[in-house]
Amino acid sequence: MSDPFFQSTFANGLVLAAERIPGMHSAAMTLLVPAGSSGDPETIAGSATVLADLILRGAGSRDNRSLTEHLDSLGLQRSSSAGVYHLRLSAAAPAENVMAGLEAFADVVRRPRLPADGFEAARELTRQSLAGIEDEPRQKLSVALREVYFPWPLGRNPLGTFQTLDAMTLQAVREDHRRRFVPRGAIFAFAGKLDFDRLHDRIGALFGDWPDSSPPELKPVPSQRKWLFIPQKSEQTHIGLAWPTVDETHEDSYVARLACDILGGGMSSRLFSEVRERRALCYAVSVGYASLKGLGCFMGYAGSSNDRAQATLDCILEETRRLANGVTADELQRAKVGLKANTIMSGESTSARASAVAHDVFLRGRIRSIDEIKQSIDAVTLDRINAFVASASSIRPTVVVLGPRELRYPDFPG
Amino acid sequence: MPLEFKHHRLPNGLDILAEINRDSHSFAAGFFVKTGSRDETEQIHGVSHFLEHMMFKGSEKYTWQDVNRMFDEIGARYNAFTSQEMTCYYANVLPEYTDRVLDHLAHLLRPAIRQADFDTEKNVILEEIAMYLDDPGHRLYEALMQTHFDDHPLARSVLGSPESIRGLTRSQMAEYFSRRYGPGNMVLAVAGQMDFGEVVDLVGRYCGDWPAVDARRDAVAPRLEARRRTLPDSRLNRQYTMGMTPAPSAQDERRFAARVLADVIGDSDGSRFYWALVDKAIAEDADFGFYPHDGCGSFYLALTCAPQNAKQALNIALAELQRVKDDLAEDEVERARNKIASSIVLSGELPLGRMRAIGSQWIYCGEYRSLEQDMESLQSVSADSLRDLMREFPFEPMTIVSMGPESLSL
Repeated sequence: MSDPFFQSTFANGLVLAAERIPGMHSAAMTLLVPAGSSGDPETIAGSATVLADLILRGAGSRDNRSLTEHLDSLGLQRSSSAGVYHLRLSAAAPAENVMAGLEAFADVVRRPRLPADGFEAARELTRQSLAGIEDEPRQKLSVALREVYFPWPLGRNPLGTFQTLDAMTLQAVREDHRRRFVPRGAIFAFAGKLDFDRLHDRIGALFGDWPDSSPPELKPVPSQRKWLFIPQKSEQTHIGLAWPTVDETHEDSYVARLACDILGGGMSSRLFSEVRERRALCYAVSVGYASLKGLGCFMGYAGSSNDRAQATLDCILEETRRLANGVTADELQRAKVGLKANTIMSGESTSARASAVAHDVFLRGRIRSIDEIKQSIDAVTLDRINAFVASASSIRPTVVVLGPRELRYPDFPG
Repeated sequence: MPLEFKHHRLPNGLDILAEINRDSHSFAAGFFVKTGSRDETEQIHGVSHFLEHMMFKGSEKYTWQDVNRMFDEIGARYNAFTSQEMTCYYANVLPEYTDRVLDHLAHLLRPAIRQADFDTEKNVILEEIAMYLDDPGHRLYEALMQTHFDDHPLARSVLGSPESIRGLTRSQMAEYFSRRYGPGNMVLAVAGQMDFGEVVDLVGRYCGDWPAVDARRDAVAPRLEARRRTLPDSRLNRQYTMGMTPAPSAQDERRFAARVLADVIGDSDGSRFYWALVDKAIAEDADFGFYPHDGCGSFYLALTCAPQNAKQALNIALAELQRVKDDLAEDEVERARNKIASSIVLSGELPLGRMRAIGSQWIYCGEYRSLEQDMESLQSVSADSLRDLMREFPFEPMTIVSMGPESLSL
């Protein structure tokens, strides 16, 4: 069988990466442009979110309506959003339709019209999303936890603030587009039914003459805060936690992931068993591994009735400390099987694979095969994970609580 | 990607449906039970969903710890959901675990319902109800269903109320289980990579002694009228408005046309609502969708906007529903068809997606439909068929419910 992976860097810095998946009729694309929300100019924070909307309001020879109609006529399932490091454009459809849409996406990225009326509407929709967060306690908590935990501005709310949205002008957003929509640092990833030669030629023709330029550099400032209480008249008290751990490129990253799954991944995890199944303190409780570039963390969430929230927080902290005593061989085995199965089954979706290919190229500079990931998981031994949890479990998490009454956090009284 | 359909009925009446995909890397299996909140009475309101939780607490042979451990041991992606009309238990695994996942699912479907577990899980259900109270979209949806269907069983919330859940007894749940959960009222759907003969043997071994049930569903038609309800809530920042009006049922051939029409009017991109409301930032969300039910169906509209824009947004949406009857164009129908065709191709590549599609199709219509048949039905939808549909389902009567800081006059 021929090589299922393809990777090539154009002279202007744009990286093209692709994976061919046998048996598929569809293809999916993920285009990462180095214009994420953490790079928003401080005074107009939220500009990446506004741009994610605005670039689709007419580009090249097509106005707002004809661009949307063109992409719709190809049946492209698509999205456009501002991530931490990148503005992300993605699309999936039968493979030939994705190929047919590339010319329009080149216009969207390189030649968006950025019209004045579209700018007002995109900014207003961003304001509305910002106002909407107030109505959804769980989302509000998640935004607050990222802001408190991650180094600034990596954790900044991608929607910005009312103040920065008010300060934003069309001219400033156009300037921001010119500065950050550049090929160096951009990654174009594909997965599914693909002809690599044809894809390479097509991307070369559409993006090869995109003038080389680098995006501005980020200098994040670490956060010092460990505790935040947000008063809110909600039905439940919402609790968010974040612990630092190794990042995704670290040799122990799968050790960390497996430890995280044992603590709060599946239904046989420690937290699910103790907090939900045995003590019935909440419906939702989980912990997941998340990683930014060079920064890994565990992020946890629980939502509990107001009179039981303290017991929930205490129980989560206690289970986390208890993890230091070690995990069992059975627990490790289950976590490994689960992570491997999940990796293989995610490979059945072209959208999920295109996204994983883009992510791999961003963090590692290359695509990992599913076999390579399986080997990394298999390489984790009981000794390694127990050495890891012995030191990791003593780390105090950052905690954010949202609800009508403040909770006690023994180590850090509010 | 040739998909091959197989069907086998066990002597006790359990239907096994399979769609085999030899390119697939996984196997998905799901039991679909034709039961949900519309099959409850006031006395046992919420029992379907509560029972779904209790199924994970173990059979006579296993405890809840065993159940959670066994599914995690095979790396299953597994879960369950309860709707007004259906309860589904499913798992997606690597093909090497076909035997074990069918065994585990079969145990799930024969629960012990122990009193101590029942008492503990009640608190989890109450937490789940509280969780959804912090979600305005969910609160409004429940109010809409209640207002629209009124005294019809579809009006009932799936979760039940704190009072009805507190009042439920173990014996009421066990009685409900014995009436609803058996061959004759459920189907097993499997999809992906498999040896069908092996699946039939295994299911025969694990489920062959299940007694059939003779479950009925009250098929009375809902009495619908143009009801209005406002739910003032000063804690909210945004105004949330929903409407509901009759549409084809899940059994109706016109359901494909209904899906296309819903996309023409209210898909998230490029639809009439998009251009009239979202593109202009009058509303941040403006959807129009299609909910097919058993024996009846609904179109719904959903708007989220600033309180001061709520009345204007609703008026624009209602005006669009009239305008589309007069000036529907063939090209917008074609675009909607193409978008739906893409989603059919994409979901067809995932065993979990196909398992869900064939299982619910069987529960509602008692038949299998291939991807190709769905695609043909979709491609035969034209502007004319949508115009015919709108003559028969003219978006009247329409129930409208609005929640938020504004006490909207509707």
